[in-house]
Amino acid sequence: MKNRLKLLRVERGWTQEQLGQVLNVSRQAVNALETEKHDPSLDLAYRIAAVFERPIEEIFENPHR
Amino acid sequence: MLAIGKFQTSAQKRYTIRIAAFTIPYVLVNMGAIFGAFDEVGANPVAAWLLALVVAAPVVGQIWALLALMAESDEFVRGLLARQFIIAAGLAIALFTGWGFGESYAHAPHAPGWLVLPLFWAMFGLTTVFVRSTR
Repeated sequence: MKNRLKLLRVERGWTQEQLGQVLNVSRQAVNALETEKHDPSLDLAYRIAAVFERPIEEIFENPHR
Repeated sequence: MLAIGKFQTSAQKRYTIRIAAFTIPYVLVNMGAIFGAFDEVGANPVAAWLLALVVAAPVVGQIWALLALMAESDEFVRGLLARQFIIAAGLAIALFTGWGFGESYAHAPHAPGWLVLPLFWAMFGLTTVFVRSTR
């Protein structure tokens, strides 16, 4: 799923490891999200939205619209 | 996709210890068998079956270690491992079944059933290289 996760992470000056710690997932998971190798669950998408204080659709492109 | 060294999560470190704990006894018992440590056991059918079950027991531990890793990991690692496990198991079953029919119909040399374990782990190793996505 296309997303702006890497851009948002870099804006904050975080490494993948640091974002993983904030989200309580592994660095591999952050990397997989950024490289579109994993579509997040609704729960994880909401967690990411909460961390960056943005609506989900500002972070993940809705593929059905 | 397991990370290595300092990049391993705590769940992956526990998995490495658990898989070693089950694999080392398996290898040691089989090495013992290769060098004749259990040659006399074959004379007693009960002892022979007991030995067979003891050797096979760590295999259950290996699968448990993998399932425990999935349970202790985040959703990406869990989904990826599940996909890799299913593909590896499917390939191992298909290859071994094919060989079995080769024995039945084409006089292929007999392959002992325990070979399915190294075959599965070989397929699992292969899937970790080529299957890197949960999609």
